[in-house]
Formats: sequence, C-alpha cells, structure tokens
Amino acid sequence: MNAAQAPQPAAFFLPGRVGPRFCLYHAPAAGHPVRGAFLYIHPFAEEMNCARRTAARQARRLAADGYGVLQIDLGGCGDSHGEFAEATWQGWRDDVLDGAAWLSDHCSPNVNLWGLRMGALLALDCCTRLPRAPEQMLLWQPVINGRRFLNQFLRIALASKLTGEFAQAYTDSAAMRVALIKGDMLEIGGYELSGGLAGGIDAADAALLPAPLGSVQWLEISADGVEPGEAAQRLFGAWRAAGVSLDVHLVTAPPFWATHGHEVSDALLDASVSALLEPA
Amino acid sequence: MSDQTVAALRQLLTATLNLGARGQALQADTELLGNLPELDSMAVMSIAAALEERFDIEIDDDDISARTFATLGSLAALVERKIPA
Repeated sequence: MNAAQAPQPAAFFLPGRVGPRFCLYHAPAAGHPVRGAFLYIHPFAEEMNCARRTAARQARRLAADGYGVLQIDLGGCGDSHGEFAEATWQGWRDDVLDGAAWLSDHCSPNVNLWGLRMGALLALDCCTRLPRAPEQMLLWQPVINGRRFLNQFLRIALASKLTGEFAQAYTDSAAMRVALIKGDMLEIGGYELSGGLAGGIDAADAALLPAPLGSVQWLEISADGVEPGEAAQRLFGAWRAAGVSLDVHLVTAPPFWATHGHEVSDALLDASVSALLEPA
Repeated sequence: MSDQTVAALRQLLTATLNLGARGQALQADTELLGNLPELDSMAVMSIAAALEERFDIEIDDDDISARTFATLGSLAALVERKIPA
C-alpha cells in the first residue's frame, strides 16, 4: 500500500498522568511484519502548526513502511488539555513517557523517537528515561541548546517593534528574563510563556544530556543544504567519542516549521525513510 | 563590507526566507525592512538565528533594530563586526 492510500489515523485522548493528551495513531500497514513504533514529538509554539502537514505526511509514510506512529499533542499544545501558560518541561517529559508506554502496549515494545526542532531536544532528553532505550532516533533539524532557542523565541517580541505585529511591554531580553524568573507571564507571538516553562527550556542542553544509546539519524534541513554549525559539530564529536552510532544527512528543503503554507518536501520524507531502513 | 560577506548574506536570506529566484537579485543596497513582504517578526527572528548558527556569532537585543535590518549591506556589516578578527 502506498502512503496516499493509507487509512485515516485514529484520533483519541490518551489519559496522561498530567492530563488528557490528544493523539493521532497511524497503524502500521497490514501485510508485513511490524518494524516497530515511532513517537512524534512536535516543535515549539507556532512551529508545531507550521509543520503539521509535513509531519502528517511523514507519519503516513512511516506507517506504510511498517511502523506504528503516534503523534501526541504535548500538554497545553494543539488539542490537548491544559493551557500553554501552565505547561512545563517536566510535564512534557511525562507526556513523552506516556505516549511511549501507549505505543509499547498497543503496537510494539520497540518504541523509537522522532522529533522536530525543540521536539528533537525533548526526544534526546527523554530517550534515556524510557524503560527501553529506543533503537532509533529520527531527529529533524534539532535544537541543541535550550538557552539559545529561548533567546531566539524572546526575540520575536523584540522583532515585533520593527514590524509592529504584536503589542509588547518589554524592550530588552534581559528584562524579559527577569520578569519570567519573577513569575510573570510573557505574551510572545500569541503564546503565553510562563517562567516555569522558560526555565525548563533554558536548562535543556543536548551537550549535557546522556548520549543516546540507539542509532541516531540527524537530518539537517535547509533551503541551501548547508552543513550543521559549530555547536552541532562539537556535539557530533562528543557523541562519536562516546560510541554513538550517528549518521548526519543534509536535506535540501525549505524550513517548513518557520512559516505557514509550505509544500511538503518529498526529499525530506524520502531521506528520512532511507535513513531508517538502511542497514547500520 | 566584502563581496564574500554580501554573497553569504544573499544566500542566507534567500534560504531562510525561501525567496527562490528573487533572492538572486538582492544587492548590498537592497532594502529589507518595509520592502520584503516576508519580513515579519518570525522572519526577523529566523534571520538572527541563522546568522548565529552560520557565523557562530551572538546577536544582541540592540542588533534587532531598524538600522541593522535596513538593507542586506547593513546585515553584512553587522556580521563582519562580530566575527572575531
């Protein structure tokens, strides 16, 4: 069966330990053995919405190739219960663990993680916390450093003073950080960011996490197919020294998580599937 | 600023904003803010992030300014100022 003929995913609410989480499950195609399961961990804030179509197409492709794929909306995101303002990094870790447990019960004990951007960082954070280490990690354009990522997110509010899009009360990121630590809520790009969530993101750093145990397929996605930057190269060096099985793939595709309305890139889907199915 | 930096910025803006063929027409004196419809606050943020990743520099709050984002040339000048000699 090809992906275009794939049945609709099953939508349901998973009773997570923090609250109900909206899920879409793409069952593996019938007719051949189940290869395993993938849990998709979506990116942060508006990137989640921008990336929706591409993630859905990839999930159907993986299902067509024999993987059960669960897309879970993290707490406060998408259609899951809870407000974004109340979300926490620890709560999101719990969501990932709950999603993985569901896949283990309903699809296969071989649960793998697939993350995009900050979802990839969360995947790296969670992979050593799962009862069984994922055999494969599929990482799309990972965020490596939460502090740098949070700086970039806070900048949306600063950038708005140039473009006039959002009303804002803060003029510098240091003041914004102080406000967050004090417990103020900041509205940035339409999202209410709490100090708790900001703190959790700030502390997340791939360089400080335990190295992943399974094989890692790292896809660096850009419109000009450029190599990953300095911080990524340092991480690769540390992982390889620790014996991580790492393959880095350069994919030429537009940054579909950053703006609305992109066409889904077949190059990205093809590269992901080949990376996973290729013998180690 | 050098032709090399201008060329690198042309490539970076074309890629980050998905300008396609239009990107090839960008010159040092091409106006960005107020001229490119793609340049909303997410795009400004993406460009700043791309500059940090590509050139391994730190962008400060002050760099998020109308002056810096005025033209391709002003962005190139920023990059050259920040790269260690």
